[in-house]
Amino acid sequence: MMMKNADHLMRLRRVFTQVIGIVVIALALYASVQVTQPDFVKLVIAAPKARQVLRELLAPDLFTRESEVMTVGVALPVPCDSAPEDQKAITGPRLEVAPGCAAERETVLVRGRELGKGVPVALRWRLPDGNTLGIQRLVTDAKGNFEVRVQVRPIVATKGGQPARIEAEVTLPGGRLAPSQALRDVIDAMFVTVFMALLATTLGTFLAVPLSFLAASNITRRGRLGALVYYLVRTFLNLIRSYEPLVMATIFALIVGFGSPFAGILALVVVTTASLGKMFSESIESIDTGPIEAISATGANRAQVIMYGVVPQILPDFLSFTIYHWDINVRISTIIGFVGGGGIGDYLSKRINAFEYSKAGTALLAIILVVWALDFLSAQIRKKLV
Amino acid sequence: MLRVEHLTKVYPNGTVALRDISFEVSDGEFLVVIGLSGSGKSTLLRCINRLIEPTSGKIYWNDIDITNASPSEVRRIRRQIGMIFQQFNLVKRSSVLTNVLSGRLGYANPWLSLLGVWPAEDRQKALRALERVGIADKANQRADTLSGGQQQRVGIARALMQDPRLLLADEPVASLDPVLAHSILQYLEQLNKEGVTIICSLHFLDLVHRYATRVIGLKDGVKVFDGLPTEIDRARFKEIYGEEAQEVRAASL
Ligand SMILES: Nc1ncnc2c1ncn2[C@@H]1O[C@H](COP(=O)(O)OP(=O)(O)OP(=O)(O)O)[C@@H](O)[C@H]1O
Ligand SMILES: [Mg+2]
Repeated sequence: MMMKNADHLMRLRRVFTQVIGIVVIALALYASVQVTQPDFVKLVIAAPKARQVLRELLAPDLFTRESEVMTVGVALPVPCDSAPEDQKAITGPRLEVAPGCAAERETVLVRGRELGKGVPVALRWRLPDGNTLGIQRLVTDAKGNFEVRVQVRPIVATKGGQPARIEAEVTLPGGRLAPSQALRDVIDAMFVTVFMALLATTLGTFLAVPLSFLAASNITRRGRLGALVYYLVRTFLNLIRSYEPLVMATIFALIVGFGSPFAGILALVVVTTASLGKMFSESIESIDTGPIEAISATGANRAQVIMYGVVPQILPDFLSFTIYHWDINVRISTIIGFVGGGGIGDYLSKRINAFEYSKAGTALLAIILVVWALDFLSAQIRKKLV
Repeated sequence: MLRVEHLTKVYPNGTVALRDISFEVSDGEFLVVIGLSGSGKSTLLRCINRLIEPTSGKIYWNDIDITNASPSEVRRIRRQIGMIFQQFNLVKRSSVLTNVLSGRLGYANPWLSLLGVWPAEDRQKALRALERVGIADKANQRADTLSGGQQQRVGIARALMQDPRLLLADEPVASLDPVLAHSILQYLEQLNKEGVTIICSLHFLDLVHRYATRVIGLKDGVKVFDGLPTEIDRARFKEIYGEEAQEVRAASL
């Protein structure tokens, strides 16, 4: 009877704890909705706008066509017989004028033929002295032709047997593809980012190596002083590691100026030092102590033991971690640019602020490609190292 | 000559690994230390070159007080004392030659050795050492590509680089099969004949009878036997090893 009672009581208590738990979780969720006020309706209402933004982002500005310019022309003797008329072409892009010659203040009909469909044309006089005189700008029709009446002004009269010509400068599409300005800017900014990451990784690694030895219990934690150093370095590394790179970059940007890669580099160096310091020290802590014992037994000093017993064991790990962190640093530095760290992130945030989404799309595409390529590359190298 | 006086080792966790051990080893002896697993053999050997700090007691090496030596004196003493290990303790990723050369670190120029620069005579000495143990052709291979027996020979070559006057061998053949065990111990025997004092821990009675000139038995950190190998019969062996003696004997056959 007693047993059964106790059993019952225990079950009751468990149910009670569960109910309390559920109530607490429900209250916490309610509070978080109250605090953050998510507006899901807005997400639906904004759909058309989202589509617009996405369409531009997904059509990155990569190439422009270098337009090709073609000029066709025909002589117009004014007055008639002041000079010979041109031989009339009958095929190909050409300009025809009717009548073939004119007196001052008459009107002639100028026809463009086979110039390309719907292309812009600048019509102008080429005067006998070589100067030009604009007539008008127009666009060819669906057959690639145009027709326009032009008044003959005294200034276009033949001079010294040399007639004036009517020229049509046609801007043809389908020239060579060339990288657009946005693409060139993005490539420049990407180089800044990748080298920023490279420099920061290198500096961070140099700082991390000595720190990692101090933070490795099997190397440093000997005697009272050793233990003190070990705990200090470890705490220091953990402290910096708890700061987000973004926060760090903002602080450095405040010090050395926004939009400068230097701020980004400083932030990355600190982040890299802390994180590689930790990874390195763990690698050092996991080494085989047998060889160290053996080399110590030969009468080698501390530095020699490290060089011959420790370094060969950790070198592949160190290299592999470093490459991996370069990869990470490229990612971080793209983001760091947003808070004034320079490089591709800086470019991206500026384009977004200027509503130039297709240029932003160029930057996004570049980030995806570079991150993917580095990821692949670093994985390959690391595979070789182990 | 090595003199151990009232040596006691208590580990920080309170384990008493050695209890008031005293003995002397004359130059040229082949001393074998026997005892059950956990009886304190490794601890004893490591106290001699101070890889482990003794808790109390004294160890004299040719009248130099090892237990009181400064770090630099310890290094100078260590370079005359070679050591080989059950697990060989080679640097696996380094080449065989580099492993052997590292035996010379106690003599080498500290700065040059850190840069990996070795005088030609040291390299030649290393190749001769490898030749002596019959694996000169493996010099440029990575150490972990070698078989267990070959790795232990590299271990011996490394110790040879020290021109040792005393060789500590902590169960040098426990990881090898019996045939290989003899080939390794024959190198030690050869060294012993050339005047190197040997202190070696062993598990198997037949090996003890074959190689030892003198035997010390440990049990729970206490010296329970000190005498000639011929004095160890089954009864004595059982005394040292307790009830597990039969099994140990069986395993050695
Ligand atoms: N670092 C250590 N900390 C605490 N206790 C230890 C340590 N090393 C060894 N011991 C203990 O000291 C005792 C002696 O160990 P030791 O390694 O010297 O024995 P052994 O005779 O070499 O044994 P085996 O044949 O297994 O190698 C054992 O009880 C062991 O558990
Ligand atoms: Mg042992």
